[in-house]
Amino acid sequence: MNTTTRAARFALPFLLSLGAALSAHSTASAKELLTIDLVNEPSSLDPHQQWNPDSYYVYRNIFDNMVTRNDAGEIIPQIATTWERTSDTETVFAIRDDVTFHDGTPLTPEDVVFSVERITDPDFASPQLGQFNKIIKAEVTGEHQVTLTTDGAYPALLAQLVKLSIVPKHVAETMTSAEFNEAPIGSGPYVFADWQRGVSVKVTKNPAYWGDTGPFDSVVFRGVPDAATRVANLQAGTSDLVVTLNTDLAQQVENSGRGKVLTVNTERVAYFAMNGALSPLDQPDLRKAIGHAIDREAIVDGLLGGYPQIVDQLLSPAHFGWTDGIEGYSYEPEKARELIAGLDTTPDMELGLATSPVFDQRVVQAIQQMLTDVGLRVGIQTSDMATWLKDQQTSPDQAPMLTFSRWSCACQDPDGIMYPLLHSSSNWSRASDPEMDALLDEARSELDEANRAALYARINRMALENAYILPLYQAAIIYGAADELVWQPTSNESLFLNRMSWSE
Amino acid sequence: MPVFLLQRFGQALVAIFGVMTLVFFIQRLTGDPTYLLVPETATQADIEAMRRSLGLDQPLLVQYANYLWDMLRMDFGRSYVQNIAVVEIIASRLPYTVQLASGALLVAFVIGLPLGLAMAIWRKHPLTNALMGFVLGAQSMPTFWSGILMIMIFGVWLGWLPPSGSGSFAHLIMPSIALGLLSMATYARIARSAVIDELSKDYVRSARARGVGTGRLVTRHLIRNSLIPVISISALEISQLLAGAVIVETVFAWPGLGQLTVQSVQSRDFVVVQGIVLLGAFVTISVNLLADILYSVVDPRIRKGSRA
Repeated sequence: MNTTTRAARFALPFLLSLGAALSAHSTASAKELLTIDLVNEPSSLDPHQQWNPDSYYVYRNIFDNMVTRNDAGEIIPQIATTWERTSDTETVFAIRDDVTFHDGTPLTPEDVVFSVERITDPDFASPQLGQFNKIIKAEVTGEHQVTLTTDGAYPALLAQLVKLSIVPKHVAETMTSAEFNEAPIGSGPYVFADWQRGVSVKVTKNPAYWGDTGPFDSVVFRGVPDAATRVANLQAGTSDLVVTLNTDLAQQVENSGRGKVLTVNTERVAYFAMNGALSPLDQPDLRKAIGHAIDREAIVDGLLGGYPQIVDQLLSPAHFGWTDGIEGYSYEPEKARELIAGLDTTPDMELGLATSPVFDQRVVQAIQQMLTDVGLRVGIQTSDMATWLKDQQTSPDQAPMLTFSRWSCACQDPDGIMYPLLHSSSNWSRASDPEMDALLDEARSELDEANRAALYARINRMALENAYILPLYQAAIIYGAADELVWQPTSNESLFLNRMSWSE
Repeated sequence: MPVFLLQRFGQALVAIFGVMTLVFFIQRLTGDPTYLLVPETATQADIEAMRRSLGLDQPLLVQYANYLWDMLRMDFGRSYVQNIAVVEIIASRLPYTVQLASGALLVAFVIGLPLGLAMAIWRKHPLTNALMGFVLGAQSMPTFWSGILMIMIFGVWLGWLPPSGSGSFAHLIMPSIALGLLSMATYARIARSAVIDELSKDYVRSARARGVGTGRLVTRHLIRNSLIPVISISALEISQLLAGAVIVETVFAWPGLGQLTVQSVQSRDFVVVQGIVLLGAFVTISVNLLADILYSVVDPRIRKGSRA
């Protein structure tokens, strides 16, 4: 016994220090490599080209944007440090002078101007053209200064510039977009390292970054199309963060004890559109009846795991202009039946509800059932996404009667959602109300924030009164993450690696 | 033989032209990819601009003529979505598909053939019923379910194999089994019926009468004679496997052609779909040609017949 004690006394410090060394080693090396499972590989890493989450999840880490949003959703400086509106159409931006691209060249105001000109060049045919084509001129007006001129007053300018990635002029102007896509050079916290086609994209930490880089030496983004497989990867420890889970899989992650669920309400608003141009939906009372017939609480709590938030405006709290106190249609099937009974033209025809497999079919079927319960005949018309999109973007007399959809302008600005869905000049809109059109036009160029918010509140009340469209809920996005990952997902559905950290 | 081959080549060319034309027109009936390439907020002008940049604004027949001309010059175009040459995209995916197809074929062959043989020779044995049940089960289990089940057991609980992805031999095991089990059942059933067929023939009875043992009977006579239907099935199976195992590749995140096909069809990436379909047609036609040649090697009667 004595010898054992002595041996223990002798060995203990060694063991302890060994243990300490080992654990210190493991914390330091545990997250040299972070693995993130996306649905698909990126389509393009040229930030002025493809516009889908799997692409921007990756390239927003390789490139800096003109401005960005913090976790609270406020617009904060990134490449532009300050900005000042010098007239209704001109805004002057001060540009950081301590930023270098990954090839070592300093980022200059010329690069900013080039980036604006590149994405707004009609010949370049960027899918994001519509988000930036209000900018008609970009010029260098000082040593570290750029002035952007817009076509008329444009209050959503900053909200759009959150998505303007700055590309190096000396590289991008000598290459086609296809070439730039294969070797993208930005100024962001991570450097493009390798793209295994169809498999993964690897980025490595940019040691020369001007801001915070986050703790990971390198990060791999993989394409894993099947959501159940993404969850299995997370539980097996072969990935640390997985995107786009449904509520069943989120439940599975929560019950398994391995990994955790991270969720945030995005700026994506689910809505129910009714074609008011066609009989019988041209009767406001029928549209109101539909509003009273849809039980949004049942949808959110029963089908969507309680994650989304019900909204009564065609906005989400993540948008500018969200106004408290706007009340929509409560679930009152009796009232719906009364309204339908009092109609001039009884809706005895079948109303088509257009949908595509992209949308949650459980919600679509639930709405069909709810409308059937109050005595309407609703038939679900499923088409593929391309056809669905084409059918939606047409004149009201050809558009589907009923549509369930979700909308995000990726700008968190009401103009990006309310104008396309409510203004009669938009292909998406089913409403045609000159008074509302005038208000939408006014709000679009109102530079005073308080006035602008008041205008949108008025438009929202007007849309509700006439039941032009029914806002349903603010959609949630669900991620699965390793227990050690510390990260706050944001409403704009970005994965900024330098805002993630790792705790053992 | 040369006449027979020339005929076959001629047929193959006509078939490929037919496939080229069909895939071109059918795809264009299914919708306009432009809408999927622009964000929801795009204006009609943005949509028009995108359509112009893809050349989709031209009349259909002009597009078709351009397409045929490109094909003649062996220019397969660039992906609408990724803006990369289709040849490059397919070339990066093809090795994975070949690996998976070989793995699956190996699983199917190594398990399926002996199984079929055993079920035929001992067809009265009670164990055979259990084997038949196994074969039936393997064939009826949908891969999206058996795949996930395997991932949960071997990838998550036991941790023996990587749950998904590619890059090492270990990654190949589960997808090969998931995919191979389907073909395995086909092989087992075909081999079984072929052997049963042979067993009832006179030469088997004579051999038995001469005192030839079961082992020798199987290895020397039965296998060789039962191989013909197995080869014709292989031609079908191989072209099916190479065309891509859509579900298995999706479940296991295996970056082969099947996954690419689904993604490209969903995004209406016409150019990529055309490339894949043409490759599939080419493989199917070549494999069938090869099978025809193989028949004549295995069975001299076909060789002699074609000479006459």
